[in-house]
Amino acid sequence: MTEIKQGDIVLQARGITKRYPGLVANDHIDFEIRAGEIHAILGENGAGKTTLMSILFGLTHPDEGEIYVFGKKVNFRSPLDAIDLGIGMVHQARKLISAHTVLENILLGHPHAGAILDMKKTAEEVKQLCDAYGYKIDLNAKVWHLSEGEKQMVEILKALYRGAKILIMDEPTSALAPPETEKLLETIQLMTKNELAIVPFITHKLPIVLSVSQRVTVLRRGKIVARLNTAEATEQSLAMEMIGREVLFNLKRPDVKIGKPILQVENVSIYDDKDYWAARNISFEVREGEIFGIAGVSGNGQQPLAEALAGLRKVSAGRVLLQNEDVTRLSSLKRWKKGIGYIPSEQRAVGSIGDFSLVENLLMSYYYDDQFVKWGLIDTKKIRQLAQELIEEYNVATPNPDVKARNLSGGNLQKMILARVFSRKPRLIIANLPTQGLDVGAMEFVQNKLLEEKKAGAGILLISEDLDEIMALSDRIAPMYEGEFMDILPGGSAQRETVGALMAGHKQKAVQA
Amino acid sequence: MKLAGYTLKLEKKASFSGLEAILISVVAIAFALFLVGFIFLQAGVNPAEGYKAIFTYAFANSFGVPLTINRAVFILLSSFAFIVPIRAGLWNIGMAGQLYFGALSAFGVAYALGARVSGAVLSPWVVIPLMIIGAVVGGGLIGAIPGVLKGRFNTNEIVVTMMLNFIGYWVVAHMIKEGGPFMGSGGEGEGYKLPASIQAPVVSGVSILTLVIALVLAILLYVLFTRTRFGYQIRAFGHSPAASRYAGISPFKIAFLTFVIGGALAGLAGYHYFGTVPNLNQIPKNYGDFGDMAFYGIICGLISQGNPLAAIPLALLFGGLTSGGRYVQGKLHLSYGIDYALLGVLMIVLVAFQFFFRYRFVLKKES
Repeated sequence: MTEIKQGDIVLQARGITKRYPGLVANDHIDFEIRAGEIHAILGENGAGKTTLMSILFGLTHPDEGEIYVFGKKVNFRSPLDAIDLGIGMVHQARKLISAHTVLENILLGHPHAGAILDMKKTAEEVKQLCDAYGYKIDLNAKVWHLSEGEKQMVEILKALYRGAKILIMDEPTSALAPPETEKLLETIQLMTKNELAIVPFITHKLPIVLSVSQRVTVLRRGKIVARLNTAEATEQSLAMEMIGREVLFNLKRPDVKIGKPILQVENVSIYDDKDYWAARNISFEVREGEIFGIAGVSGNGQQPLAEALAGLRKVSAGRVLLQNEDVTRLSSLKRWKKGIGYIPSEQRAVGSIGDFSLVENLLMSYYYDDQFVKWGLIDTKKIRQLAQELIEEYNVATPNPDVKARNLSGGNLQKMILARVFSRKPRLIIANLPTQGLDVGAMEFVQNKLLEEKKAGAGILLISEDLDEIMALSDRIAPMYEGEFMDILPGGSAQRETVGALMAGHKQKAVQA
Repeated sequence: MKLAGYTLKLEKKASFSGLEAILISVVAIAFALFLVGFIFLQAGVNPAEGYKAIFTYAFANSFGVPLTINRAVFILLSSFAFIVPIRAGLWNIGMAGQLYFGALSAFGVAYALGARVSGAVLSPWVVIPLMIIGAVVGGGLIGAIPGVLKGRFNTNEIVVTMMLNFIGYWVVAHMIKEGGPFMGSGGEGEGYKLPASIQAPVVSGVSILTLVIALVLAILLYVLFTRTRFGYQIRAFGHSPAASRYAGISPFKIAFLTFVIGGALAGLAGYHYFGTVPNLNQIPKNYGDFGDMAFYGIICGLISQGNPLAAIPLALLFGGLTSGGRYVQGKLHLSYGIDYALLGVLMIVLVAFQFFFRYRFVLKKES
């Protein structure tokens, strides 16, 4: 292989086309990536990013088109071929073995890992890599001890150690706290100095795209709609290209009178699945017409807290009151009947049943309603009617309500879940990461729906990792870190930096700020 | 795979229609019969003649047909016992144990009413319904064991139901063998015979009462799964325990009730075969063979994709193959076990063909 210089074309795609039944996922995609550049690929969910990524990494075969790596035409049979040619991939869902050490994970799948593992040599080589990029990580730590940012670091190291020259990153910042994000951006900028090409695939978080990348390629409905130098782009223009219309980033917050408390949480503590403390001594209240935002990076106890309030997890200590009634020990079904609506974060695993039609999915919140079930027999006509109405009202893109939930895109599925939960007219809504993984259009829709519910007088507990969302929607904000509320701040006057620092656990810094 | 300018590709299917499912099953059965043809050849029998003998005996012979139907009802009830829990994603492989206990309690009811010593004292209009209730309760109680253990402690239901099969087997042995309370008058290791006055009605050799019950149950179970709240809860749990818990469905209730119902249906199968089939009307010496036959209910349930109506033709086919297979073994002087070989191969092929429910081959011309 000849020496690569900054600016050389390292990867080129020509006319990449991939068709799935009823859909062209990639439609004649052409682009090239140069050594030493950060080339962001931007697009909504369903724009064809995932397909393109799997094609570049050898997971999927294109129906048409050619890929050239370092000027040579390639035909990937599997990711192994791609890896051998110097393409590395950092997945959004970490692909590490959590019971193994960092070093073992890095060595896994490496050609050096033959029958006998030379751990010592590997350790030295990986150390050198770490030093080069200023990584500080204990190679003998077990992966499950690591934070999300550290795990990602391990994935990057693994790819680099395998000899990656082109690094594909799938939503690289999605699970990171703001300080970790900054660290990541610093590192990838450093890496590009060594002729590495970085290709992050990004759905939202437009500011990040703008801050580090040199070039942006925007996909929409399987086609490339824009190729830009980042310097020429603005957040607004990128969003417009992505969704094909102008987005209003400033949500109109309705002026709603905050009423009586609906939910009161008093000194609640919760264990997680491994019997560790997941949340400790949490106290707060949510009032009528109020959005109470819990800001935090996933894994800091928000999920167990949401589950406990929904009756899906035991509360170990403390009390939960719903409209002054103690519901601490009530089953979730009883809570739904008393007016709690819960939007779980895992829309496919928990919030819906993939093999069920939309009508059957709607029944998840109606099978216990005697208006829809008489003498144990389901009134199919009535529930179907309701499904049709909700599909229309919530703008769910589906040919009919008999489509299986698994065939809906993320955004449409979330709309359907929202429709189901909100149609029960809940007094309290627990929304756990309601816009996670959604494209800009669907995200806006969900946020507006939450505001509508607020206007209707519901109390809303919003759990989100997205600081912008929390800042834009919440009346009060509680940054959560390691199972505790760091503070409760008024939404209108809280500083973005303060909240960001608090949710990363920097109490000191926050005091200074 | 490449073939003369064409590429053979495997594609995942998004869905399949009922017609497709039937077609796949029919092709699978034909393929299995083709394979078993080699066993016939090896034994020096023309496969065509072998099959002709099997099917004529099973489906067009005045001795064979009643036998086929009685066995089909037994296999059908066993498959219902499998289907109800499997729709909730739970595996009941304890039909054998449940049917033993069902049969024991049915015969226990008759015993308590004096059927063993003094002949029948009560009218069959009383005894037969009581025996049926006994079978259902007996099977249901045994089904409750894995149900409670699964629902309360998440114990592996496969292990529990399988172990209960052994327990059931030996409890029956204790009850009917020498010295057991249900011992027959011959004392040769079989249970006592029901007096003629309380034997269930028989039409042309077919136990008509249990046949009707099984067919009605097929319809009821079909309605249960497609139209009712409880059926919806079972299916939701079967597809996604996490999502159904979120929807407020109690995992305990589902595990408990599906296993109780499954056990009760298997108990009914026990009463059907031992209590109503003519010339039997007792727990026979070889009752273990019928425990084994109940396992065909699993295959039946799997191939029918948990659809109780689709299980009917399958049970009929299996019933015919067991009766016809055993018959040709004697008639054509085949070695022992041709009926088991036939059903065994059929099972493997049918299960292997499930693959085509999810995938299809596509032939594409090279560009």
